[in-house]
Amino acid sequence: MGPDMQTANAAKTTGDRAPRTGTGGLAEAGTRLKAQVRNLNFYYGNVHALKNINLEIAEKRVTALIGPSGCGKTTYLRCFNRMHDLYVDNRYEGEIVLRPDGLNIIGKGVDPIEVRMRISMVFQKPNPFPKSIYENVAYGLRVRGVRKRSIVDEKVEQALQAAALWDEVKDRLHGLAFNLSGGQQQRLCIARALATDPEILLFDEPTSALDPIATARIEELVHELKQRVTIIIVTHNMQQAARVSDYTAFMYLGEVVEFSGTDTIFTNPSKKQTEDYITGRYG
Amino acid sequence: MEDIRSLIARRKFFDGVFAVVGLLSLLVGLITLLALILDLAVDGVPRLSWQFFTSFPSRFAEQAGILSAWVGTTLVMIVTAATAVPLGVAAGVYLEEYAAKNWMTALIEINIANLAAVPSIVYGLMALGLFVYQFNLGQSILTAGLTLALLILPMVIIATREAIRSIPGAIREASFALGATKWQTVRDHVLPYSTGGILTGVIIALSRAIGETAPLITIGALTFIAFLPHAPVTTEAPYVSFQWLMDPFTVMPIQMFNWVSRPQEAFHLNAAAAGLVLLVMTLIMNGLAIYIRFRFRKRIKW
Amino acid sequence: MEPIHTHISRQYNAELDEIRSRVLQMGGLVEQQIEQALDALIKGNTATGEAVIMNDTQVNKMEVTIDEECNQIIARRQPAASDLRLVVAVIKTITDLERIGDEAEKIARMAVQLAGEERPKNNYAEIQTLGNHVRQMLHDTLDAFARLDIEAAVRIAREDIKVDQKYEGTMRQLITYMMEDPRTISRVLNVIWAARALERIGDHACNICEYIIYLVKGKDVRHTSLDQVEKEILGKINP
Repeated sequence: MGPDMQTANAAKTTGDRAPRTGTGGLAEAGTRLKAQVRNLNFYYGNVHALKNINLEIAEKRVTALIGPSGCGKTTYLRCFNRMHDLYVDNRYEGEIVLRPDGLNIIGKGVDPIEVRMRISMVFQKPNPFPKSIYENVAYGLRVRGVRKRSIVDEKVEQALQAAALWDEVKDRLHGLAFNLSGGQQQRLCIARALATDPEILLFDEPTSALDPIATARIEELVHELKQRVTIIIVTHNMQQAARVSDYTAFMYLGEVVEFSGTDTIFTNPSKKQTEDYITGRYG
Repeated sequence: MEDIRSLIARRKFFDGVFAVVGLLSLLVGLITLLALILDLAVDGVPRLSWQFFTSFPSRFAEQAGILSAWVGTTLVMIVTAATAVPLGVAAGVYLEEYAAKNWMTALIEINIANLAAVPSIVYGLMALGLFVYQFNLGQSILTAGLTLALLILPMVIIATREAIRSIPGAIREASFALGATKWQTVRDHVLPYSTGGILTGVIIALSRAIGETAPLITIGALTFIAFLPHAPVTTEAPYVSFQWLMDPFTVMPIQMFNWVSRPQEAFHLNAAAAGLVLLVMTLIMNGLAIYIRFRFRKRIKW
Repeated sequence: MEPIHTHISRQYNAELDEIRSRVLQMGGLVEQQIEQALDALIKGNTATGEAVIMNDTQVNKMEVTIDEECNQIIARRQPAASDLRLVVAVIKTITDLERIGDEAEKIARMAVQLAGEERPKNNYAEIQTLGNHVRQMLHDTLDAFARLDIEAAVRIAREDIKVDQKYEGTMRQLITYMMEDPRTISRVLNVIWAARALERIGDHACNICEYIIYLVKGKDVRHTSLDQVEKEILGKINP
C-alpha cells in the first residue's frame, strides 16, 4: 500500500469524537465519526483527479461537497461506493475507513459489492428501472436474496414512507415508475436506496433535474433522513448546501480547500478561494 | 426590402427544386418495386389455392404445390433461430457487458461487422466442408439451419449490441449501486430492457435468411422432394423426436428456382405464386418486428 | 473606498458598492448635522439649530432607503460570507447613524432653547472640546468603514473611554456651576442634555467600529473587552 498507509495507521483514531474541521472546535457535542478519509488520491488513468484528500464524515449528519464543475466532488463521492470500479483504468490510493468496524472501503481486498451493499447512492437524474414502483424499491432486497413476500412488502412500505412517497403511490404500487413525475421519481430512487438500510447515503446533485418545489421536497427529506442515516451530498447549488448540510467541504482542482461547519463556511470562510466561490467572485 | 424578398424567393425556388428531385428519385424505386409485386401477383394469385399449399411438387404444373417447401423453410428457420439467437445474444452481451475494452475487442468488433458483409455463398462453401463432410451431418435440415444460423449470427450480435447500448449507463449504475453483480444486472435489467431491440434484430435477420438460396444449394439441398420430414411429435414416449433434423429438405426459394428453370409457362406461374407466398412471409415477419418494437418501447422511456 | 473584489455579476457588485457609498453619504450628513448643531449651540444661532432639526428627516429617509436596498440584496442575491457580513454590518450601522442623527437633533433643540438665554463666560468651552472629540471619532469611524481598517476601528473604540472620561469631567464642572449659581440651573440642565447626547454619539460610533470588525474578521466583538479584542483580532493580522 506504500507510505500513505503507514502514515495513516500512525494517526489512528478511535471514532468516538466529532470530526475535525478546518477551523476546529466547531463540531457539536455528541457527534460521532462515520468515516475517515485519509490521504485519498484518485487517478483516471494518468489523470490525477483527487489529490491527497483528508476528511472526516460525521455520523447521522449531512456533509455537503461544493465546488466549481470539474473540481472532483462527484469523483470523490463515487469513491465511497466504489462506482469507479465499473470502469477500467481507475486507481485509488490512501484509505476511506468506515466506522465503527474499520473497513477500508478502497482497500485492495475489499469487494466493491460489499461496499455498495452498505453505502447507497442517489444519482443526478432520476433513474428508476422501467419496472413497477414496487419492483424498483424491492430490487435491492432481491439482489440480497430476500424472497419472502411479507418481508419485502414491509420493507417496500417502510422505504416509501421514509422517502415521503407512500401516500402518493400506495394505490398504484404495481404501476410503472416512469409514470411518476420527476420529483416523485427521484424520491422513488431515494426509497430504492433506503430499502436496504444503508449506513451512508450518497447524493450526487439530486435536484439538478428538478423544479424548485420538487427540490424543496427532496431537501426536506434529506433533513428528515439524517435522523437515521449519514448523508453526503454533492451540489452545484450553494444555497442548497447552506440549507441542508451540517458540514461543508469546498473542493477546487481535486483538493479540499476548506472543510468546516456549514455556518462557518457561509458566514466566515477562512480561505480566500472559498470566499470567492461562495460569494460568486472571480478567483 | 425588395432585395430581401427576391433573395427569399430565389431560395424558396431551390427548396422546391429539391423537393421535386427527391420525390422523383423516391418514385423510381417505389414504382419499380410496385410493378414487380404487381407482376408477381397477376401471375401468381390465380394459382393460390388450398391445393397449392398442401401438394408436393409434381411433373404436372397444375398439380404441383409448395408443401415440402414451406414445411422445409419453417423447420430450417426453427433450427436457425434456435442456434443463432442464444449464441448471438450471449456473444453480444459478453462483448458489451463483460469484455474489457481493448484492441482485442476492437478487432473482434471490426471482424463481426465484416462477417455480416461476407457473401452468403461463402458460408455455403464453408458449411459444405465443415458440416456436411467434417461433421457428417449430411444434406439435412440441421446442416441448412446451422449454415443460415452462421450467416445471420453477426447480424444478431450487432442487433444485440445496439439494443444493449441503447440502455442508459445510469440504469446499469443504479443496479450496481444497489450491490448487484454483473450477472444480476444483465439478467434483471440489461436483457429485459433490450428484448424488444434484440427480437426486432433477430426477426429482420431471419427474414433475410428465409430468402437465402445460394448457401443451401451449395450444401446440396434437393430441388425436388415429394415427402415430408419425420414428425417432431410422436404418439409413443418420449413423444418428441428429433429425427427430422437429419432429413433431406427443400425450401421456398429453391422450389421457386426449380420452377423458374423449367421451360413450361405453367411452372413459371407456380414460381410467381410461390414468390408471392415468400414475399408475404417476409412482410409478416417485418410487421411482427415493428409490432414488437412498438410494444417494448411503450414501457420504456429514455 | 476599499474596492470590492469583482463579482461575476457586475450588477451585484454595483449594488454592494452602492450601499457602502450610501452609508458613507449618510455618515457625512450625520457628521455635518453634529457640526452644525454644535455651531448653533456655541454661537447661539437659532437658524442653524432649526436647520439641523429640519435636516433630521433627511437622515431618517436615508436610513429607510438603505434599509430597503439591503432587504432587496438579501432577497435577490442571497449574499454569503463577506457579502452577507457587509449587508448585516450596513443594516446595523445605519441604525446607529440614525440614532446619532437623533442625538444631533437633540443638541440642536437645546441650542435653540439656549439661544435666548444669557451665554456663559467660557462660551461652552467644555461642550466644544467634547463635541470636537466626538466628531473626530465619528469621522475616523466612517473612514475606517470606508477603508475596512480594523486597526483604526479598535483604536477608535478605545477613544470612547476618553470621551466617557471627558463627559464625566464636563458633568462635574456643570454641576459645580449649578451649585455656585442656582439661577443657572435650568440653562445648565439643557447643557447637560447636550453633553449627554455627545456621549451617546461616542457610544454609537463605538458600536459601528464593532460592526467594522465583524465585517472584516467575521467575529462578533460585542460584549468583549477591548484588550481581548486587540489580542484576538489584531494579534492575528499583525505579521
